[in-house]
Amino acid sequence: MRKSSSGLSRALVRRETIAGYLFLLPSLFFFITFVIYPMFMCIYTSLFDSNMGKNAVDVFIGLNNYKELFQDKIFLGALRNTLVIVVVAVPTVCAFSLWVASAITDMHPALTSMFRVIFYLPVVTGSVAVTVVWKWMYNNYYGIFNYLLKGAGLIEKNINWLGDAKYALWCIIIILFTTSVGQPIVLYVSALGNVDQTLVEAAEVDGATRTQVFWKIKWAQIMPTTLYILVITTINSFQCFALIQLLTSGGPNHSTDTVMYYIYYTAFKLYRYGYGNAMGVVLMIIIAILSAIQFKLGQSSD
Amino acid sequence: MKKLFALMLALIMVFALAAPTAFADDTVEITLWTYPIGGWGNSDTVDELVAAFEATNPGIKVTVEYLAYADGDDKVNTAIEGKAAPDLIMEGPERLVANWGAKGYMVDIADLWDDADKEEILPVVAAACFNAEGQSYEYPLCMTAHCMAVNLNRFQAVGADQYLDLDSHTWTTDDFVAAVGLLAAENPNVAAVFCGGQGGDQGTRALINNLYSGTFTDAEHTKYTANSEENIKALELLVGLEGVNFDPAIVGGDEIQLFRQGILDMAFCWNIGMQLNSDNNDAGLTNDGDEIVCMAFPSDDGVPELCGGIWGFGIFDNGSEAKIDAAKTFIKYMADSAATADAVKASTYFAVRDKSDDVDLSNIYEGNDIMSEYSKLMPFLGDYYQVVPGWAEARTAWWNMLQQIGGGADVTETANAFCEYANAAAGA
Amino acid sequence: MRNQKSMAYRVFALVLVILLAILFTFPLYWIITGSFKTAKQINSTTPVWWPTEWTMKNYQKLMDKFKAPLWEIAVPFGQYFSEDGTARVISAGPTVPAAVRWLLNTVWMAVASMLLTCLTSALAGYALAKKRFVGRTLVFTLIVCAMALPKQVILIPLIREMSALKLYNTMSAVVYPIVGWPFGVFLIKQFAESIPGEILEAARIDGASELKTFNTIVFPMIKPGVGALAIFTFISSWNDYFMQLIMLSSTKNLTISLGIANMQAENTTDFGLIMAGAAFAAVPIIIVFVIFQKYFTKGITMGAVKG
Repeated sequence: MRKSSSGLSRALVRRETIAGYLFLLPSLFFFITFVIYPMFMCIYTSLFDSNMGKNAVDVFIGLNNYKELFQDKIFLGALRNTLVIVVVAVPTVCAFSLWVASAITDMHPALTSMFRVIFYLPVVTGSVAVTVVWKWMYNNYYGIFNYLLKGAGLIEKNINWLGDAKYALWCIIIILFTTSVGQPIVLYVSALGNVDQTLVEAAEVDGATRTQVFWKIKWAQIMPTTLYILVITTINSFQCFALIQLLTSGGPNHSTDTVMYYIYYTAFKLYRYGYGNAMGVVLMIIIAILSAIQFKLGQSSD
Repeated sequence: MKKLFALMLALIMVFALAAPTAFADDTVEITLWTYPIGGWGNSDTVDELVAAFEATNPGIKVTVEYLAYADGDDKVNTAIEGKAAPDLIMEGPERLVANWGAKGYMVDIADLWDDADKEEILPVVAAACFNAEGQSYEYPLCMTAHCMAVNLNRFQAVGADQYLDLDSHTWTTDDFVAAVGLLAAENPNVAAVFCGGQGGDQGTRALINNLYSGTFTDAEHTKYTANSEENIKALELLVGLEGVNFDPAIVGGDEIQLFRQGILDMAFCWNIGMQLNSDNNDAGLTNDGDEIVCMAFPSDDGVPELCGGIWGFGIFDNGSEAKIDAAKTFIKYMADSAATADAVKASTYFAVRDKSDDVDLSNIYEGNDIMSEYSKLMPFLGDYYQVVPGWAEARTAWWNMLQQIGGGADVTETANAFCEYANAAAGA
Repeated sequence: MRNQKSMAYRVFALVLVILLAILFTFPLYWIITGSFKTAKQINSTTPVWWPTEWTMKNYQKLMDKFKAPLWEIAVPFGQYFSEDGTARVISAGPTVPAAVRWLLNTVWMAVASMLLTCLTSALAGYALAKKRFVGRTLVFTLIVCAMALPKQVILIPLIREMSALKLYNTMSAVVYPIVGWPFGVFLIKQFAESIPGEILEAARIDGASELKTFNTIVFPMIKPGVGALAIFTFISSWNDYFMQLIMLSSTKNLTISLGIANMQAENTTDFGLIMAGAAFAAVPIIIVFVIFQKYFTKGITMGAVKG
């Protein structure tokens, strides 16, 4: 800090600091009151055996909640599921939306606009409403997937999509996927439209193929968009809660638990607040590290 | 910038406007949250009852909110943490006494029980409303026995109706197995052991307990016995029974729907409320018009022990004496006055007392054939064990256990793990 | 040869995109047609692709089943001064179907989150990018680390805090944590980095006040970023079911998503009613989206291209 402002006088530094904090004030107020303070409370409570109950007394147990956490198979499974969701959803959403965007930008403007709206529909329809329909589609007894697959002779017996640990998590990822690609597609369509056409033409004159043009010229120009999409998709994937609560409640046999859902479950079904908060802290640390890495990568590729 | 600043100020101001609301000074406003207990889950029915109450008690205003079984507990728990619990709540002792009462959130209403009440109310019901220390967290209104239901037309079509005793509504485990065998030849989904959540779980518990006359807890309600030999035998029977599938994608409500749609031939989550339901077809008929018959759960000795449902009111301690008094007035009006007959009838269940305020409640459903037929099941009402400590935790563990067993886990090991966990929660 | 290949690819791409488009449109199609189906068709065990018999009964039920006052205006900050912690209502609107109120609540919640987030983030993002002050790195590190954090992590402390502030079961309890989420600050900061320092320096030498500089120079330059943030916040708070689920409890305070989720949780699920509710919620916002599509997509894009 000192070094970068070495040319500035003391008075100026003070002025800048005051002005800086005044600008930050409204945002910091909300950030500290509704994010940082609860986070701090979360860390604090995680050191206690804290349960629901009017007369329940919190007992300080140090790191015991954390010790238990790393022996809790359900938590470890939930952690794994969370990472699977993020690791699968983020790249697929990016790749898929880029592909759709490049496929529809070449079309007639009216078509481009129509497809853009269509792929955005699940986003604006609202995740709860979309989830209700998907639940019906996945239904074991009268759902559309079993109906179609059976009709086409691909399966003999109905598959209990959400009731089978083999499929349930993937079913959830698919819904998450359809509600996530809308915004990236819109972004990519516009980003591709803004690519410098003179560069593209020049390359084509030089005899570059479509693929070469794409990777050598367009890819670099849409890089900032890609980074933005990576960030928002990661955020969205970590927030995936409604789908799980409404579709499977974490089942069957905890195969679709995510840490986010398991925290809710621990708090309101098992009444163990301290333990739930310990999970929150672990997730906090993991996400902070991931965000920092993502940010550093974003910085270096700028 | 001034504009922006003003905008922000205005926003904050308006936000404060969206705060919770209250009424004029001398009126006491209380809130009642009710689970869907028969007609008590239906706003038209409840509005009428509440309007009648407010007419006789002009100083009290009651706002009603409707909970669902799927997420109602979560909602109440969040509200408790948010210090916004309702004043009145309507549900059974398993929640009011064993959970929120035991956790210290409820008002002791033992003073509501006068000597007449102790005489009029069934002793087994009264016992469930008190804890071991003699505090009462529930004043009961109505009760029923949970049973199962069969699609009679389907049974007749495969000749399985020979196993049903349509007069006493009972059958044995052998009858049940034989009937499932015949039905499964025609329909791969005879019945579902639903375990997607806790909704309707009394059905799966009663089924498993009855098959070989096991019990869910010991007689003193101190520890869980779901891993007893009888229960494990029952679980193993169900796992191996072709046509009965463990389904972790549905809960009791979904099962009822599938049964009404004619997909399942039997439903384990049933009681008189469902038998009387006429949303999609006349009462007692499936959507396609097949006849629905209530049956007791099958048991090896032919003598079922049905799981009871008791419903009544409890009061959350929100720190206001005025509200607590108003809530008590409400309870007395609904559950111990001349108006009780209507309040019970609204629930479509049976009264927990023979009379209230000198009104005879023993045959309020006189002339209703479905009700009188159903009342044949009431003598089979078994032990009300849901007041065992650690109930809420054990309940959650129960459906998780069924999911594991349905997924192929070893029955004995899983049941042992369930009991170990549940007993730890019970402090036993 | 190359043209042929490219042609084949285009046809293939078109077919695939159309198939996917069908899958993406299906939920909405099913909601809208489902809302007009009779109970018999809804409960049919084989899919009824198109309602053979149309009915308005589901909408009637939606309108009749739950009621709420259209609006309620209470004494500002009244909850902090009254005995039982609730503010006195000065004005209550006419009783309307609760679904209408839910929609209003949702719009209110999303718009308020959007405006507050944009305002606070614009100011803070600019300061972080262009002001050199003590503690800047610390603040920025905190922001980057907290950016992607799911709100479930602080579930319990947040509920307790809201109830201590007497905000539980109000829209503020949903909106404030959304505003506090620092992604917006991060986004605007990335934008504001590109503002040339010389312009700001010149403004300062001219004696322009900090606020004037922000208003006339900075804000116009970060406007695309603010547009992107506005859309992101609006959509994500519209869909942010979790905060609503834990913070709102009375029927009149619900959002439309919660209202639908409640219907779904009932013991005998009435799919017709749910579909009517979902259609009621989705159609207005889709119409708005289609009309403002151009403006809307432009808003998102420019942000990202520069960001």
